[in-house]
Amino acid sequence: MNHEETEMISRCQQGDQEALKEIFDKYHKKVYRIAYGVVRQREEALDIVQEVFIKLFRSIKNFKGRSNFYTYLYRMVMNTSIDHTRKTGKHFISSLDDEGSFEPSDEVEKGPERILLQKELEERVKWAMEKLPAEQRAALIFRDVEGLSYQEMAEAMGCSIGTVMSRLHYGRKRIQELLKDYVGLRNQSRGASTALKGRNPPKL
Amino acid sequence: MKDSCFSVSKFLEKYFDQEVTEKERLLVEGHLQDCPACRDALKSMEELRTLIKVPVEEAVQKEDFPWVWQKIEREIRLQEKLTWWQSLRSWLDVSPLFKKKVWIPAVATLVVLLFITAQIIFKNTPSYPDASVVEYLDSPTYNVMVYQLEKPGVTVIWLFEGPEREQPTT
Repeated sequence: MNHEETEMISRCQQGDQEALKEIFDKYHKKVYRIAYGVVRQREEALDIVQEVFIKLFRSIKNFKGRSNFYTYLYRMVMNTSIDHTRKTGKHFISSLDDEGSFEPSDEVEKGPERILLQKELEERVKWAMEKLPAEQRAALIFRDVEGLSYQEMAEAMGCSIGTVMSRLHYGRKRIQELLKDYVGLRNQSRGASTALKGRNPPKL
Repeated sequence: MKDSCFSVSKFLEKYFDQEVTEKERLLVEGHLQDCPACRDALKSMEELRTLIKVPVEEAVQKEDFPWVWQKIEREIRLQEKLTWWQSLRSWLDVSPLFKKKVWIPAVATLVVLLFITAQIIFKNTPSYPDASVVEYLDSPTYNVMVYQLEKPGVTVIWLFEGPEREQPTT
């Protein structure tokens, strides 16, 4: 933590809303990235951003500076996001039936196959992420989306580096199984129009 | 997959996450040159990362955040206007004494003490020590109020004709 950030946090701890605005300006995209990574739904991710900064303003007095501020914040984001997914359940899996097979909507069918494939991929990733235990999902988001190191992840998740590695490993393994028919298709979806032809929906 | 894959596999994920030591990096990179299976495993991890990451980045690019800050600011302002009851509750919440739930027996004791004190006070100091209203009658000519004093056999009767002419009759 540099001096500027320490001073900003200290002002926020004294109830200075301008300092909170500075923290917001610095971190809101990261917070949104993690929230969106977990819930995969725009409105809900924005609600989480709002909730996190309000919570932060109320609880920043408890931050003692023993860890990095961003890991403290990331932990708050992750916990809030996971709480949201628990409250709202499986609301975002609109295009997947109970067996997990994909049913394209009318709107998608009318569009080019490339769009269909992209939409299918996005839906499928949402679905697969939800299948993961919250801790594994958090590990994947922290590492693959936010690019945190193992040490930073351990701080943010309140566990050891060994546990972080284990969560990442099992999370990746599981999601690879769930998305095995889709890995490698994202790039194709930008050019290849025949990717979906003759391919059966995966039975999971 | 070669035999050496087993020894390298434990470093492959760390290599992918750029968390290996220099020695481990050389070991993995040396192995990858001759092992298409491990190269494929690495490529799969990369593709998976792209699948997870790209939609998130696209969503961030599309978003406009200033209004989110406005909502946060408004919400904080609203929460600052606490009612006196909420203020009291928040004070109770932060007090370490009350956090320990000592307040439950303390409040119970206080209530009992108040009850006992009230009994004593009201017993010894009646509102009108010498008399109490026994009866009150309305009539077209007089309004009558009858008091019974504590002294036995003494009754006070008030006749009200008007505000200036009222006289006690014993």
